[in-house]
Amino acid sequence: MAALLVVLLAIPFAASVVTFYLPRRPAWMVTVVTGAATFVLSLVLIPTAAAHAQIVVGSVLRVDALSVVFLVATTFLYAATAIFAGGYLHLADSAAGRRYSRRFYAGLNLFCWSMVAAPLVNGLALLWVAIEITTVISALLVAIDDTDGATEASWKYVLIASLGLGIALLATIIMYYAGSTVFGSAYDLSYVKLLAGAARFPPDVVRLAFVLAVLGFGTKMGLVPVHTWLPDAHSEAPTPVSALLSGALLATSFYAILRYFQIAVRTLGPTFPRNVLLIFGLASLLLAALYLLSQRDLKRLLAYSSVEHMGILAIGMSFGAPIAVVGVLLHVLAHAAAKGTAFFGAGSVVRKFATKDMTKIRGGIGALPWSGPMFVVAILALSAMPPFGIFRSEFLIVSGGLSDPRDTVTAVLVVLATVAFFGLSWFTTQTMLTPDLTVSVEDVGATPGPPKGEVSGLIVVAMGLGIVALVILGVHPPAQLSHLLDRAASQLGVPR
Amino acid sequence: MSHVPSTYSGVADVAAIVVLLTEFAMLRAPLLRSQVRLYAFQSLVVSALAVDIAATRHINELYALAVLSFVLKVILVPGLVLRLLREADVDLAGSSVLSVASMVLIALAVSAFGFFAVGSLHVHSIALPTTALAIAAAVVLVAFVLIILRSDTVSQAMGFFSLENGVSVASLVVAAGLPLVVEVAFLFDLLVAVVVFGVIMRVHHGRTQTLSTEELDRLKG
Amino acid sequence: MGPSVLAPQAVQALQVLTILLGAPLVSGIISHVEGRLQGRRGPRILQPYYDIIKLFRKETVVTEESSWVFLAGPIVAFGCYLIVPLLIPVLTTYGLPLGYMGDILGGGFILALAGFSVALAGTESGAPYAQLGGSRAMTFGALIEPTILFVIFAVALITSTDLPYALAATVRSSSAEVVRPGHVLAAVAFFLVVLVDTGRIPVETHSGTLEFGMIDEARTLEHSGPPLALLKWGSAMKQLILYTILINVFLAPWGLAGSGSAGSVVLAIPSLLGKAVVIGMIFAVIDNLFSKLRLFKITEFIAAAFLLAVLAVLVFYAGGG
Repeated sequence: MAALLVVLLAIPFAASVVTFYLPRRPAWMVTVVTGAATFVLSLVLIPTAAAHAQIVVGSVLRVDALSVVFLVATTFLYAATAIFAGGYLHLADSAAGRRYSRRFYAGLNLFCWSMVAAPLVNGLALLWVAIEITTVISALLVAIDDTDGATEASWKYVLIASLGLGIALLATIIMYYAGSTVFGSAYDLSYVKLLAGAARFPPDVVRLAFVLAVLGFGTKMGLVPVHTWLPDAHSEAPTPVSALLSGALLATSFYAILRYFQIAVRTLGPTFPRNVLLIFGLASLLLAALYLLSQRDLKRLLAYSSVEHMGILAIGMSFGAPIAVVGVLLHVLAHAAAKGTAFFGAGSVVRKFATKDMTKIRGGIGALPWSGPMFVVAILALSAMPPFGIFRSEFLIVSGGLSDPRDTVTAVLVVLATVAFFGLSWFTTQTMLTPDLTVSVEDVGATPGPPKGEVSGLIVVAMGLGIVALVILGVHPPAQLSHLLDRAASQLGVPR
Repeated sequence: MSHVPSTYSGVADVAAIVVLLTEFAMLRAPLLRSQVRLYAFQSLVVSALAVDIAATRHINELYALAVLSFVLKVILVPGLVLRLLREADVDLAGSSVLSVASMVLIALAVSAFGFFAVGSLHVHSIALPTTALAIAAAVVLVAFVLIILRSDTVSQAMGFFSLENGVSVASLVVAAGLPLVVEVAFLFDLLVAVVVFGVIMRVHHGRTQTLSTEELDRLKG
Repeated sequence: MGPSVLAPQAVQALQVLTILLGAPLVSGIISHVEGRLQGRRGPRILQPYYDIIKLFRKETVVTEESSWVFLAGPIVAFGCYLIVPLLIPVLTTYGLPLGYMGDILGGGFILALAGFSVALAGTESGAPYAQLGGSRAMTFGALIEPTILFVIFAVALITSTDLPYALAATVRSSSAEVVRPGHVLAAVAFFLVVLVDTGRIPVETHSGTLEFGMIDEARTLEHSGPPLALLKWGSAMKQLILYTILINVFLAPWGLAGSGSAGSVVLAIPSLLGKAVVIGMIFAVIDNLFSKLRLFKITEFIAAAFLLAVLAVLVFYAGGG
């Protein structure tokens, strides 16, 4: 088992190095194989993590139920995005194209390596380092498309995300200080140690550290008001990168906040940490729902949907009931699958219609017989339509809220989620479910739409994988997975 | 205020104050070159502070850290940015949104807030007097003001680096005993972040031929 | 030299006399050194005395528009400058009888009154440049007031009193006090205040008559004869008073007489004048290193001084430092 962790950490890094030297097709195949391998490995970890408390490698790596949940989400998207990228990237067979492909695949693997590392490392300090590395690499990936928008987006991203991580560093140091009052000055910030001593930490210091951690890591998670980089970065990055950013990176940052949450709950009791998360969650949900009503850019629409879902995650954590926490963790998995599929579909649409502007896209289902309907399904899944996974997770969160009892907040949650649904579905119907332009050729003034037919079969395959995952999560999550979620939820609760 | 701090903590506090004053000076500095030099000076003071603590509190790991941060923050980073400025060969004066006096007043209000917020925590440290933590918090907040109110990429990047200086001072106060491995990891991470900043600044300059961020407002809403 | 002790009243009178008679000397030495730094021979050290005596012998000419205010201004100012030395530690470490008439705030008020009456006299004369100088002086004086107040707050925070004597005693008490960051900041802030109030670079050109940049000097343009002598003498005294506060309260409160014995008091006089000359030379060096700021940039300078003073107060609050 311990060897598994090392392998899990090593192969994406090795893949990154290798793909830097390979031409396009082999690089793609290596990426797909690595992604699939990491996904399978993390699935193998599930039974062990659900049953035992943890798996360790020295003092550097440590995996428990909570880590495995996020690991599964990340590696699933790793594999699916790799498949999607093969179909999405249209690269000329020139020197520039080769350079782009090299940088892209090496960067993609390195990015996924850093996101896999974050749940694997042991201790708040290494966690910060891992997340800083994700920022650094993803900033380069956002800028890889040499357009004005990409440059602007990547500058904003790197500045704001680095600022946030600077604050998170301050939080780490202050938490270290809190620990040092109990442990003396030379200890290593590992989770077990911190959790053991947490009850004796000075409350004011932990309070400050927690708020700074939520602000700092919340910047990377996309919590309002420090989310301002998110719509730009997610819309200007190449679509495979956007899928990973929205589906996996935001979740990884949430994982960091959860680790601080675990400690804060033991020191301060559950009320203060939950209220902090509630405030940020409500702000994110509100703002995202409102902005969703006025978007023009397809990928920006999906980016705001990510902000909305991150808000739902934070609100879910603020409900105390264990059922809500299980819902939150399931939501992490389901959102990864759904957002990934949505971005894949968006990529297909953008490729087909050669624009991101939704006012110019009409008749999507007609033009894209497979990915069009699947895109609509993904959007519906994002809006918590049964039988998909997000329906189940939001249902769990809402029932947790009602049982808490936090009736007002739950009502607000449902209302805002409905507003978001309205925004999403309005644009989806406008672009996808309008009449097929290729039909109305007789109309002299109408511009004919693009030719019918899929952009690439690989995109369809990737989207299919996502939808299958959503259905599994929604209809009948495997028993081991449920055990895993239960155990992870208990780790996040208040110890009796 | 009957309690009088020792001479050592007085000197350390003065060093921390110098860091804060440098931050204010960066707020004012019109030329980008002088901002970079102010940052180098600030990093020098922080490294000197680390050496001072290492000597008086006998924490030997801090020597290595001080040397490393000196090389990185006083020599490498300013050198890289100055080279970028030379190659950019464009308007070397940064621009700011408000006048200097208004910026100073805002920064003053913000640092007063930081002082009081942190001062109410009663943090006791083995290495530095607690005033230094309040000063570090003020440095971080003023760096924020710098980033928000300045509208060119180099000033914003310098603001970010000086924020990291403030975090370093804070870590010297409360975490002087942090294991060396971890501190080196932090520094290495900073180096990588610097490289990325440099790359993106260069890309931005390559596309727009200026260093100003006033053009960067296409993506809105 | 027998153990003769001077009566406190005598010491107090001696304080006023020291400032009165020593001010032109300090002024003269500073101008001489400045000239030397600029590569000239520099004016004679006793030149200010000769100037004052010469002016007393000349006749007074007034403009048609002015009234008694024009003549009263210099006299009021001179009177204020005679009173302030009673309140501050000039020669001794302990408070003298009349010294409790006013604390540092009181001293500040009296100095402000002096400046106001000079500016009023200048404005009253009706001459454009004198009015310009008067209004500028009042504006910048008002802008520098918050800094002075915060410096006073800082002093009060260290010593829990307003009396300048108490701060001097505190600073002397240990080396830790000297490097206290709050104290250092307050001292630097006050140094900048002195720079503004005595009209030196980078705020104003002390020696020239460039009307567009003149602030303090312009107020006295219209006076002549004995009132002008009083004004010149008064401004030299103001300079020495401010230096005295800077030295004896903030920077180097050593060399003051600890008791009333004649010997120590008499020794305190040259020690004070010597320290003042040193400060003056620092100002002279600054004169030659920097150039004058444009008028609208002076607010930046004042903002910097304000910043330092506020930080001094904050640092005291934040950590007892």
